[in-house]
Formats: sequence, C-alpha cells, structure tokens
Amino acid sequence: MRSGTLDYVVKRVAFALVTIFIVLTFNFVLFRLLPGSAVTDLSRVPNASPALREALAREFGLASSKWDQYLAYLDQLFHGNLGVSYVNQQPVWDNLRTDVANTVPMVALGTVVAVIAGITSGLVSAWRRRTPADYLLTNSAIAFYSFPTQWLGLMLIVLFGSYLPTTGMTTPFQIGGSFWQQAGDELQHMILPSLTIALTLYGQYTLVVRSAVLETLGEDYVLTARAKGVRTRRLLTRHVLRNAMLPIVTLMGLSFGYIVGGALLVETVFTWPGIGLAVYQAVLQRDYPMLQGAFLLLTISVVVFNLLADLLYARLDPRVSG
Amino acid sequence: MALLEVRDLHVWFALPSGRELHAVKGVGLDVERGELFGLIGESGCGKTTTVLALMGLLPSSASVAGSVRVDGADVLSGGEKGARAHRWTETAMVFQGSMNAFSPVKTIGWQIAEPMEIHGVASRRAARARAGELLELVGIPAAAARRYPHQFSGGMRQRAAIAMALSCEPKLLLADEPTTALDVMVQAQILELLQRLARELHLTVVLVTHDLPLVAHICDRAAVMYGGEIAEVAAVDALYHESRHPYTRMLFAATPELLGGKDVTSIPGSPPRLDQPIVGCAFRPRCDSAVVRCATDHPALAEVARGHEAACHLNDPATGVLSVPDAGQPAGGAG
Ligand SMILES: Nc1ncnc2c1ncn2[C@@H]1O[C@H](COP(=O)(O)OP(=O)(O)OP(=O)(O)O)[C@@H](O)[C@H]1O
Ligand SMILES: [Mg+2]
Repeated sequence: MRSGTLDYVVKRVAFALVTIFIVLTFNFVLFRLLPGSAVTDLSRVPNASPALREALAREFGLASSKWDQYLAYLDQLFHGNLGVSYVNQQPVWDNLRTDVANTVPMVALGTVVAVIAGITSGLVSAWRRRTPADYLLTNSAIAFYSFPTQWLGLMLIVLFGSYLPTTGMTTPFQIGGSFWQQAGDELQHMILPSLTIALTLYGQYTLVVRSAVLETLGEDYVLTARAKGVRTRRLLTRHVLRNAMLPIVTLMGLSFGYIVGGALLVETVFTWPGIGLAVYQAVLQRDYPMLQGAFLLLTISVVVFNLLADLLYARLDPRVSG
Repeated sequence: MALLEVRDLHVWFALPSGRELHAVKGVGLDVERGELFGLIGESGCGKTTTVLALMGLLPSSASVAGSVRVDGADVLSGGEKGARAHRWTETAMVFQGSMNAFSPVKTIGWQIAEPMEIHGVASRRAARARAGELLELVGIPAAAARRYPHQFSGGMRQRAAIAMALSCEPKLLLADEPTTALDVMVQAQILELLQRLARELHLTVVLVTHDLPLVAHICDRAAVMYGGEIAEVAAVDALYHESRHPYTRMLFAATPELLGGKDVTSIPGSPPRLDQPIVGCAFRPRCDSAVVRCATDHPALAEVARGHEAACHLNDPATGVLSVPDAGQPAGGAG
C-alpha cells in the first residue's frame, strides 16, 4: 500500500549524499581562500629563509596547484585520511576521535533532558493555556531561550561553583580509583555544562511544542476524540501530541545533529575538552586540516540526523509518502 | 418520557474583551424515541452551541445552566467526568465540517474502533472487525478500514464519520450540518443514508441545518431557532403550512423552489448581536408584522395548537391578531 515509501527513502538518501559532497567542496574552497596558512605561522621565526618556507609548504602539500590539492583532498578523504594537524602533527582523525568521544555524552545528556522536559512543559502549558501554570512555564522558557549561552553558563558557575566542578572533565591529580569512581567524577564535571545546554534548548522546545500543540488542540479531530469519550491522558498523547510531533521531529533532527558538533560556547566556558573547544583553538591557530575535519564531521552529522528526521517524519505522517 | 429532554438551557461565552455573549437563552426541547428532529436557523443563532452543550463539549470559556436528560439520565450534573460516561455510548455526533473529524495520522479503522475499545464495548480484535462491518453499512468496502483519511474522498469521509458515530450503538445521534461541504449529489446520498439508518437502527436523530428543504423532506418535527432561542417548534408540515411565527414564515418564503416554487425573498436585516441584552422580541427589527408590544415585551414560547409551540405576540388573543400565513400576508397588526 505504501508503494511511495521506497521511492521517498531513495530520494532523501541521494539528497543527503549530494549535500555532503557540496559541503565538502565548499569547505575546501573556503579554507584556501582565507589569508595565511600554516606556513605563515610556522615560519614566523626570525630569519626564516625562503628555503625554509618552501620546505614547509612542500611538507604540508601546499606547493602544488589548487586543483591538485583538491583532488588529493578528496582522494585522501575517501581513504579515511583527514590530514595531519598543523599544530600537533597528529592525524586529524585521531584528534577528532578523542574530542568527539568527550563531547557526545555531555551534549547528548543536555539535549535529551531538554527535549523531554521541553515537550512535557510545552504540552502542559498549551493544555492549561492562560492559567498561572502556563504563564510560569512560557515566561521562563522565553527567558532561558533569550539568555546568551555563555552568560547562562557563567551564572551557573556563580550559583553552583562551590558545589560542583566548573572546569575540565576530570579532577586533576586524582589518579587511580575504580572505573566507577572515575565515571562518577566525570559525571559530576558534566552536570553544569550539560545543564547549560539543556536550559537553552529547553526554552526553545517549550515554545515550539506549545504553539504546535495549541494549533492541534483547535482541530476538529480533537473535538471528535473528546466526543468519543477519550480521556485527557490518551487525548493528549494519542491524538494531540501524535499530530503536534510532526514539526517537532524536524527540530529534533537539527538538535541531535549538533550533538557531534559540540557546543563551542559551552565547551569554552567550562573548558570541556570536546570538539567545540578544539574548533575554537584550531581557529586561533589557523589549523586548517583540523577545522576542515571538524566541519566535515559536523556536516555529516547534521545531514545524517536530518535524514533520520525526514525518514521518521514519513513514518509518522502517512501523507508524506502516500 | 422523551428520549432527549432539554430544559431551560443557557450558554454564555466569556469573550476576551471581558463581555459575555449569551449564545443560548433558555432552550427547551423534547425529542421522542425514533424521531428525526430538525434544528433550523440562520448562521450564528446557536445551533452548534446547543448540540455541543448536549454532550458537555463546550470550551472552558462557556458557562452552562439548565438540564439535559438523555433516556432519563442527567448529562450535565457530573462535570466532564459525568458527561464522558454518556459520550458515544448514549449520544454520538457527526460534526459540522467532519471532513476533518479524522486524525490524519491514524487509519480510519483505528479511529472507528477506538470508542468501542475505550468504552469496553468490544475487544480490540472484535472492534477492528466491527469497524469493517460499520463501513460496509455506510457503503464503503471493509478493506478501506486500513486506509488513511487523506486517501478518502469528502463523501467517503462523511460516511466514515457516520459509521464512527454508530460504533457504540448510541440511542441519540446529533448531526451538525453533516452535508455542508459536499456537492449536491453526495449530499442527497448522505441524507438518504442517515434516514435509512435511523429507520433500520431505531435511532433518534437531531439534524442541525440551515437547509430548509432538507428538513422538510426528511424530518418528522423541527425547531426553528432565532437569536439563541426557540422561535417555533412543530411537525414539519405544520411549520410550513400553518407557521405561527413570522420568522418561520419568512424563512420558508426565502427558500426557493420548496414544495411549491416561489420567488426568492431573503429576509432583510441581520440576526441580533448576542453580546448585548435584547429588549422585547429579538426578531422585531426584521419582522414584517411587528406590533407596539413587540418592542417592550419578550414573547414566551407558548402552545398554539396540539404539539405546536411558537414565541410570538401575534398568537396572543390579548394582542388581538393572528397571523395566517396561507393568506400570504399578515392578517392585520396595528403597526
Ligand atoms: N467559542 C466561542 N466563543 C465565543 N463565542 C462563540 C463561541 N462559539 C460560538 N460563539 C457565538 O455563539 C453564537 C452561536 O454560535 P453557533 O456556532 O452555535 O451558531 P450556529 O447556529 O451553529 O451557526 P452556523 O450555522 O454558522 O454553524 C454566535 O454568535 C457565535 O459567535
Ligand atoms: Mg454551527
């Protein structure tokens, strides 16, 4: 019956692949257009001879033509090689792997908490619209949504700094301890940065869910469901939220896509050694391979999660794929 | 005892401006078992508000007074919880614009089966099977239960809405303009279907509409509403041939090609605003036979013949006039 489904999936996947390729190329061009290179930085020693510059340029593969560089870039990419960091001479892929492993749990925790809390509070404030509960939830959501992230992070440090760790991922000089002790320590460090992410996203989700639910509550089929004798709980989940989820799924695709990208501001405020902090430092040091790798990862993650959201949307809404 | 007994029903809406809109003003109705009862009136006269009140479905901005009994049981006294017990098992409804009565993301069969499951009328399996049978009853193949609303045409959706309304074998079916959005051919089919089902299943039906020919063709009795009140209630023949309220008479006169075939003369003026108090008769500004008394006295609904009630001073011997519609002109009237 859903004969259009396969067609739809193939189209979305093809679209995602094309998007990734375009961004790949764009990344390459963008970074070659920027002024300065690793050579400019590394050769800024006194008396750097043209010979030294040339040697450095050759070492980093910057001597050949742009087109050759592009082909080499693609070729290496397809073999899983993202190049070598200009700064620490390590393969970019190895650097990124550690950073991503640090980022994902922290950002994922914040995002998941925000999505669950935001959907709940958006649903409640829409159902209880124009009551004190609605005003409280909506106004606090607007506040959290509009606070600058770094400011919110600093406020949390001021408020909770004496109870919870505020920098890094582990307590320095605490070596040893069982696996569980270490995990507990890391979790403690995670609380404040995760909370910062959760609060900002929470505001956004509450507002989006509230307006989606309000719109759905006015639909004829919701009145029909009430007439059928459906109880409030079932009404809100099976009828209202099930329909209001459609726009929210798209937003969730975006949020989850950014989990890998990390949160640059939050990681900088809390010196969380994740990919956001790595990008920040790479920018300062003009570490192009590192930046390219990070952006590539972010692109793929955003595109993949959007694709997942699209596919989920099609599963949830029979009108999409007929 | 009538199946549906409505006594002195009032509905007020709290408007955002802080004012109150008195949408239903002391409506009383008796609908007998097995009857096809029409509720007629111009747009905005309170028809939908009345039928929503019968199921306790008005929004929270509405306050309701009066009593509604379905088969002797009081519907309104128990709040939302009390009303819910009567929904669909005793009173079911086909909504105005039920084109959108189905959630777009669930199959038609799921939605028809849902009330049977939640009211414990049938197990999930039996409910699904019954959903198919109900669809066949309204002329849709049972296999279509697996389809989604967007795969149905408007007429099919309307039929499916009727099938859904019948799922818990209600005693009373409220149909609020069930054919408005459909083309004429489909309209006729849907009405025929309603009429047949009412007869075969011994259903009591309240049919809300502003479509007079329709009421005249299929209903047994009808009530005419104006400005939130009942203006006249009688058997449809009596309403047409011996109407005792100028509004009913003018309404029929404004309807083309009905039974006889007359010129279209729409009623000049517009219905009264319900968010401000009305002194005297609500219809007076548009009435062609108003007398002095109409400006100050509010006419009460009174029996004018057996099974025939009207709210008009012209029927009061004290007013000294009686409108005889068959004469085509109001018989006298001092002003
Ligand atoms: N939720 C509401 N809030 C405020 N006023 C309302 C609300 N619903 C209806 N009304 C008002 O109550 C009056 C009666 O409306 P209702 O919908 O019952 O009329 P109706 O006879 O069904 O009209 P139609 O033929 O257009 O469906 C109108 O004046 C309308 O503006
Ligand atoms: Mg209506």
